[in-house]
Amino acid sequence: MNLLSIILLNETHGKLYEWLDSFVNMTKIAVFAKGTITTLELTLLSMALGSILGLIISLGRISRSKILKSITWVYVWIFRGTPLLLQIIIVYLAIPLMYLDITGEALRIPGFVAAIIALTLNTAAYLAEIFRAGIQSIDKGQMEASKALGMSYSQAMFKVIIPQSISRVIPPYSNEFIMILKDTSLVSVIGITELYREASRLSSGSGDWRLLFIAAGVYLFLTTISTYFFAKVEKRTTRYL
Amino acid sequence: MAKNIDNTNHMIKVEKVNKYFGDLHVLKDVDFKVNEGEVVCVIGPSGSGKSTLLRCLNHLERITSGKVYIDNEMVDYRVDDKDAMHIDHKKVTEMCSELGMMFQRFNLFPHKTALGNVTLAPITVKKIDKEAAEEQGKKLLDSVGLGDKYDEYPSRLSGGQQQRVAIARAMAMDPKILLFDEPTSALDPELVGEVLEVMKKLALSGMTMMVVTHEMGFAKEVADRVVFMDDGRVVEEGKPSEIFNNPKSQRLKEFLSLTS
Repeated sequence: MNLLSIILLNETHGKLYEWLDSFVNMTKIAVFAKGTITTLELTLLSMALGSILGLIISLGRISRSKILKSITWVYVWIFRGTPLLLQIIIVYLAIPLMYLDITGEALRIPGFVAAIIALTLNTAAYLAEIFRAGIQSIDKGQMEASKALGMSYSQAMFKVIIPQSISRVIPPYSNEFIMILKDTSLVSVIGITELYREASRLSSGSGDWRLLFIAAGVYLFLTTISTYFFAKVEKRTTRYL
Repeated sequence: MAKNIDNTNHMIKVEKVNKYFGDLHVLKDVDFKVNEGEVVCVIGPSGSGKSTLLRCLNHLERITSGKVYIDNEMVDYRVDDKDAMHIDHKKVTEMCSELGMMFQRFNLFPHKTALGNVTLAPITVKKIDKEAAEEQGKKLLDSVGLGDKYDEYPSRLSGGQQQRVAIARAMAMDPKILLFDEPTSALDPELVGEVLEVMKKLALSGMTMMVVTHEMGFAKEVADRVVFMDDGRVVEEGKPSEIFNNPKSQRLKEFLSLTS
């Protein structure tokens, strides 16, 4: 009985080991790690920059100025209404070509920079709508009370309204974070070697289909961790309720 | 032009104010004054325009036409919904901090503790350093009987306690005038007394107050003058004894018979 289970355990152990071994032997872990890091860099950088830009745009969307309102509306309209894939290629290819046509000078945008620009501009449009909804969901009485206390519009915004809207914004923000995390795979079209591109290159080179499943697993791992992280943050920001 | 030789200091003066919400005419040629140190209660049925009048004083609503003076300074002058004077928004903001306002729904900042609510405006607007603001804030909370609630969030306080925090919060800006917009209407009956008690203390300390209220007992006891509004007009005003014991207009008589 005992002997049998040991043999069985060894058997499965052996198989798993063999499988992992082949994986390691192909020196793929390093490549995967590098791709994963690039994916994370793309996600975190574009989300950080996109959050700042998105907040500015959302403030434009709710401002009383008709000009600001329409400029920011057009921005959101364009970036939500066209494919991200096309936006990436336009930043990387069309803009430099357009620049060349107009000025006669060459403009080279490095692939990584182009990727960050496109992802940032795209996510800013979505985040602006998320922030706007969050800000507008705060009771009107909060702005009135702030004004009655002598606060300016921006003081009221940054000290009273925005801090309260954070907890309401986190769930859709978390959602957008995950979308961008997955959509970073699109920048592979301009040659960025992030997780998806590394996996598909290695897999098509060796015919090893398992690599694609592993890539999916890594994405799933990253999105799960992010979801968990944002749920924790949400809990922290609602502790006063 | 003859100078105004009236030597009482008008903290609030409203001249021929009209206010429309779309087609709805809510204030009709309203003239209204509050002298320094005076406690004026504004009573009247709902929809009579009394809250709107109050909100027009600190630009929470803009008047459609007329003039508004606060502490002898013109803060709003409009003709046909257009500014008839240059509105200096910075000055308006400054003026707002001279008017402390209490709301029906308290409007405390839910993400701040009681003390945080009281110190936020002094720190951000007056740029007082945090320690001094907290020291002052604690004294103010003590004075409204909330010395043991500094670190509580509004969600953990009763309505009466919240309104008292709101009073402390307004007092932290050293206002010259306090405006109350039905401060006890949202409270459970047993919590009304504690808020009125604090308001009475303020009135006795010589604070200039304008109180829109349904608390006739408070108006009778504390007000120097009672103003009765109906259908966007000031219908009758006078000492509480005159208003409550000897109403002249038919509408005030009807109103009083309904509320008592």
